[in-house]
Amino acid sequence: MPLKLLAQLSTRNLFRHRRRNLMMLLAIVVAVAGVILTNALIRGMQYDMREAAVANLTGHIKVLAPGYLDDPNIEKSFRLAPDWQPDVPAGEVEGWAARIRIPAVIMSERETRGIQFVGVDPARENISFLGDVTLIGEGLKDAEDGRVLIGVELARQLETEVGRRLVIITQGLDGKNREAGFRIAGLYDAEGTALEKQFVFTGVGALQKMVNADVVTEVSVKLQDDALVTDDKLELDVKSRLASFFSTLDVMDWQELEPQAAAMFVYVDSAILIWFLVIMGALIFGLVNTLVTAVMERIREFGMLRAVGMKPSAVVMQVVLESTIIMLVGVSVGIVVGWLLCTAWLGDGIDLSRWSEGIEMAGMRSRLTPRLMGHDVILVTVLSLVFGVIAALYPAWRAVKLKPLEAIRR
Amino acid sequence: MSDLVVRCHSISRTYQDDSVPVRALVDVDFEVARGEFVSLAGPSGSGKSTLLNIIGGLDRPDAGTVEVDGVGLNQLSESDLSDLRLHKLGFVFQAYNLIPVLSARENVEFIMQLQGVPAGERHGRAEAMLEELGIESMADRRPGEMSGGQQQRVAVARAIVTHPVLLLADEPSANLDSTTTEELLKLLRRLNEEHGVTIVTATHDPLVMSYARRQVRLRDGRIIEDSAREAA
Ligand SMILES: Nc1ncnc2c1ncn2[C@@H]1O[C@H](COP(=O)(O)OP(=O)(O)O)[C@@H](O)[C@H]1O
Ligand SMILES: [Mg+2]
Repeated sequence: MPLKLLAQLSTRNLFRHRRRNLMMLLAIVVAVAGVILTNALIRGMQYDMREAAVANLTGHIKVLAPGYLDDPNIEKSFRLAPDWQPDVPAGEVEGWAARIRIPAVIMSERETRGIQFVGVDPARENISFLGDVTLIGEGLKDAEDGRVLIGVELARQLETEVGRRLVIITQGLDGKNREAGFRIAGLYDAEGTALEKQFVFTGVGALQKMVNADVVTEVSVKLQDDALVTDDKLELDVKSRLASFFSTLDVMDWQELEPQAAAMFVYVDSAILIWFLVIMGALIFGLVNTLVTAVMERIREFGMLRAVGMKPSAVVMQVVLESTIIMLVGVSVGIVVGWLLCTAWLGDGIDLSRWSEGIEMAGMRSRLTPRLMGHDVILVTVLSLVFGVIAALYPAWRAVKLKPLEAIRR
Repeated sequence: MSDLVVRCHSISRTYQDDSVPVRALVDVDFEVARGEFVSLAGPSGSGKSTLLNIIGGLDRPDAGTVEVDGVGLNQLSESDLSDLRLHKLGFVFQAYNLIPVLSARENVEFIMQLQGVPAGERHGRAEAMLEELGIESMADRRPGEMSGGQQQRVAVARAIVTHPVLLLADEPSANLDSTTTEELLKLLRRLNEEHGVTIVTATHDPLVMSYARRQVRLRDGRIIEDSAREAA
């Protein structure tokens, strides 16, 4: 039985009932475009949350002294050779930074707060949120800069401002408390207030002098985003290279450091699939119904076709083709519409700043941009076609259930 | 022997209708020689269609044997029967003969397509057949755009374009007026006389019977009269 002939019959039968099939087609287009758009928005959220988690001084991979996470202090530190470079092919790593990050107490004339005191090389911090904050006053000049950069919110709480002095107390390597005065170089305005309250920055060299030790507490590595998408083993690969270099230290990835964000990241993958299955499941009922109607009104025709010698398998194939063609057209148009919605309509993202409090808690940014991913589109296409075939099975069975003679006598 | 296209020996068929058995055929012997034009006649419900369907491999007898072109049908599987219908038989039913979404030409080509006849040969044979039957002007119309008589002509064209060993026509004129019926019958007679097509029709229309060379009369599932036997 030539497939071409069957396809011709199927197409013409679809055209014969234009209105009914157009309605069905429209339903598929709306469902597919809707799924594409919501998937892209959920993906946007998913990657936002990961990026926020990673930008939160975490990086994709971090090297720490054993025990640092349980009790972060300057004793849980290590020395880094001045000419150290991660032993990783270029193009895979976006950047890396070595820092000291220790708990400290900060005091203004009026208030005292507990903070994380972070010594950084500002030139390397393009990999963290520090790279794209808005500054009031000045940033840190270099790793030896002995001034501090504090958050806008912390400055408000401490009732202080740019140019004023603050006193910071932290523990040195010898276990004794060190106290030093710092001038405020500038205030940073991060997204939300959580980071602003938590982190106070100074030059890593200056902090080393203060604690009197030539050490760092962490090396944070950020991988290339594009390389991450194309190569899902990249993270593990870089992690194991670092682990073999820093054999006495802990090398952890962002999933271990931010387990909540990581769990969310995995959960979203299944949420996308479930959402798609629910929508398609609902659609299937409509499709089965349309196909059964189409089959029943042609039952005598099917009887005649089999009476003149057409095989039952060819009849089944014809119904399956009708279903698949409708799906294929619907999915193609749906994907184009979904893509247009993602780019032309919501290409600039949705402004969520009105709900900034809640969004910050969820670890998202204030602008949600849809992220249309190739493998999501492929998944939607392939599964839709599978659904198209499944939807055809019952109608096809109805088409061949009757013996040819019974069908003709109807 | 080999000139017998149909050999039915002692066939019976009983339908179980609402638990009341209906004996549609009772111990029927029936033979058709190559080149014959036979009309199965008899009142409605006498078993004409049942006999035709059994010969056509669309129904099976409860008892007795059927041979078509030397092939015993009793032993054949459904799929073999389907092949037999495709390659050896031509059918013209009372209605719903044609595929509504195909043009007359495409309908005529359809069975050849199922048989796998190459496109070039198919087009040529369809063209010639449409011309022969005087419906070439209808070639590109779909069934819905043709009269009942024109549709039946296309159905005949489709049934015989494959050169079947036997053409089975069940009440081919049921939906036609008498003028159109006569045209259709003239066509069948011409096909029988000029091309040697073997034809069996079932009808309760005396006009149709008068065109056949041999009349077989059924009543209550039995053959009560056969013009061939009387002649012998
Ligand atoms: N599928 C069937 N189920 C039940 N009874 C049937 C069926 N087909 C035919 N019959 C019965 O068998 C008898 C013969 O029918 P049929 O061969 O169609 O007669 P005809 O074609 O001469 O009008 C009728 O009584 C009819 O009701
Ligand atoms: Mg009948």
